Amino acid sequence: MERFKTILLVGNPNVGKSVIFNKLTGKDVTVSNYPGTTVDISSGIGSFEKEKYRVLDSPGMNSLISYSEDEEITKNLLKERPDLVIQIGDAKNLRRALHLFFELTEIEMPMILCLNMSDEAKERGIRTDAGILEELLGIPVVATVAITGEGINNLKLRIKDARIPKKIVTKKDGALAFDIYEKEIDGIVSRVQKRVGEIKPFLADRLGNWAMKPFPGYVILIAVLCLMYIFLGKFAARICVGFLEELFEKYINPFLYQSITSIIPAPFIVDALSGEYGVFTMAIRYSFAIIFPIVFCFFVFFGILEDSGYLPRLCILLDKAFRLIGLNGKAVLPMVLGLGCGAMAVISTRILSTKKERLIAVLLLSLAIPCSAQLGIIFGILSGISFRALLIWLFVVIFLLILVGHFSEKVLSGAKTPFLLEVPPIRIPSVENILMKTRMRLVWYLREVIPFFVLATFILFLINRFNILSLIEWIFSPIVVNWLCLPARLAEVFIVGFLRRDYGAAGLYVLAKDGLLTPSQIVVSLVVLTLFVPCFAQFLVLNREVGIKKAFFIFFFTLSCSFFFGGILNFFLKIIRIV
Amino acid sequence: MQEKTREQEEALGIIWHFRERKIKDFDRIIGKLKEISPGICDCLVEKGFIEIKDKTIELTPSGEKIAYNITRRHRLAERLLHDVLEINKEEIDQSACEFEHILSDEVTDSICTLLGHPKFCPHNSPIPAGECCTKAKEELESIVVSLDKLKSGDTARIAYISILEHQRLHKLLSLGIIPGKILHLHQTEPAFVIKVDETQIALDKDFAKNIYLRRST
Repeated sequence: MERFKTILLVGNPNVGKSVIFNKLTGKDVTVSNYPGTTVDISSGIGSFEKEKYRVLDSPGMNSLISYSEDEEITKNLLKERPDLVIQIGDAKNLRRALHLFFELTEIEMPMILCLNMSDEAKERGIRTDAGILEELLGIPVVATVAITGEGINNLKLRIKDARIPKKIVTKKDGALAFDIYEKEIDGIVSRVQKRVGEIKPFLADRLGNWAMKPFPGYVILIAVLCLMYIFLGKFAARICVGFLEELFEKYINPFLYQSITSIIPAPFIVDALSGEYGVFTMAIRYSFAIIFPIVFCFFVFFGILEDSGYLPRLCILLDKAFRLIGLNGKAVLPMVLGLGCGAMAVISTRILSTKKERLIAVLLLSLAIPCSAQLGIIFGILSGISFRALLIWLFVVIFLLILVGHFSEKVLSGAKTPFLLEVPPIRIPSVENILMKTRMRLVWYLREVIPFFVLATFILFLINRFNILSLIEWIFSPIVVNWLCLPARLAEVFIVGFLRRDYGAAGLYVLAKDGLLTPSQIVVSLVVLTLFVPCFAQFLVLNREVGIKKAFFIFFFTLSCSFFFGGILNFFLKIIRIV
Repeated sequence: MQEKTREQEEALGIIWHFRERKIKDFDRIIGKLKEISPGICDCLVEKGFIEIKDKTIELTPSGEKIAYNITRRHRLAERLLHDVLEINKEEIDQSACEFEHILSDEVTDSICTLLGHPKFCPHNSPIPAGECCTKAKEELESIVVSLDKLKSGDTARIAYISILEHQRLHKLLSLGIIPGKILHLHQTEPAFVIKVDETQIALDKDFAKNIYLRRST
């Protein structure tokens, strides 16, 4: 591989580092784990002034004195001595950028300081004189608005001017450094920054403030949930999936069946590829007609929530509620991510500080948090029945979430951890950035999904072919038919559910669409499938994160919970007949 | 209240000082008392300021009060002489003995306030607290309050942060929550949200209790 000079991007969290990264590198980006960890490091190639550079994006950090894995990694990336460091700071929060800058000067590397989001600073009446700052720090200072691309060309031009910064403060260790830094920063800020005019709150600021107050915060939360329901359940799972399903059923599948029959004369292989349980007719169709549109829409939605700065406000709103289940507001982040993909979310529980919190979080993620594809399908199926059915499903799942969470909180020992979270301002997300993120997540997801789908389909095909399916249905029938009062065929949904819950849900979608289930049977089977065992990918991640023993415990716990509470729900629905 | 003489006050002060050193022994104290006047002990018993049981001297409530006040006046006088008039430690005792009998309660409290409600005399004996000290403490406490005592919309300057765990303290400092900074409290429910410079931070009561602020007056 060709050797390029490397540029490392560093900065505080929420300063728009990844947007700058995207602007510098363009399309050619790879995301890989930092060795030995699960923290993603994006790396890409950019060429400035006819010279090519490898650009690395590092996790956000506030200080080089590291306590979290993220900060540790950034420190290690710095130790690998990149050719130059671009520090990205928030133009309206120069003080914090300077704190980090003083720590970075200790490393003595060529640097550039990029003050991003200078439009937000301007709106708030903060004017920064980059020229004087450049003189004081001894390195190029560039103001940018990464989202619109303003200043990016200037940044690219100045890369060749990178210098080792002046040493303004000599090293003192520990908390004492803060005082010395503070004094220097006071001096610098008063020379380069001016505040002009009154700072009036903007609509976005006001919206951000509303979103974290109990009122109207909870109203906004309900509105966001409704929006998600409409977007995922109605638009993605019904309109998009309906259209794509028709496309597959009417045109693609018959065409595939015809062409495969004419090419390969062996009926066994034809069936395996395009029969009832064919790799193309089932696995590929499920992946692209059902899973793809839903997951795509979810990641767009999630990306908007993420980039707008809404998620930290959600953490604030739900902090107290999460105390009930032994977690604090910070755990909202992995839980919401769990609505996207359970395996991703289990990894992200690393942001929680104690073992107890992590264990509760991964248990609840495995038990009661449906992933995006599953959620979309559930919304899609339920919106076809009644709103009441949706409420019953929601009630049972949330009830169990609280019950199990509260119980684990009582059983597991460990102190509660206090809640501390930075809240970025509300911003209007950039379409380009969201599409970029969605594309990356979607590629990751489909790569994860399709092999499992193909494998699961092939297993189904084999057991069907050799008449084992009816045997399994017979074995499962005491649970499925007698206890849950569902058709014996549902056993196949649960079998594929072992491999992937969303695949099981997709199977359920088809069964429900074909009219094989009554509304109350649908609600029961959806509850069972929601509470069902973690999918295979999530199980592997669990094994890695909490160990094989706990992973197996979670597996059997969720399995028994799902059947047990499914049966009880069935019993209730029979008595009160509200669906 | 019963009449008291200068000598009686002085004697009660001596008994108080012995008691501070956990000495109530009649035989050990009587020598010092006799230096003031030979019959003082009987006089104190007669007036109901002290009781003598099993060879130990106990102050009665009325005697206790006089002894408390005289000690307070004496030691505050010592502080005044030492801190303000810069008189030698060796010489101040004599003058303080004069002062302690002529100071009224109001003047004593004024001196106490002037000296900043000191807790110890120059010889490191504790100065009994007066009303003015308790009042001042309350006032001081209401000027420096913890974050969880503030109301939404309040603005105050961070006085100090009392978090012992280094990791948590560092986290706050690196987010810019530094003593001396102006802090704006945005909301208190469901979690505290504060703004320091341009950084907004959400935290719970556990953190809020340990961040102390000086209200602007």
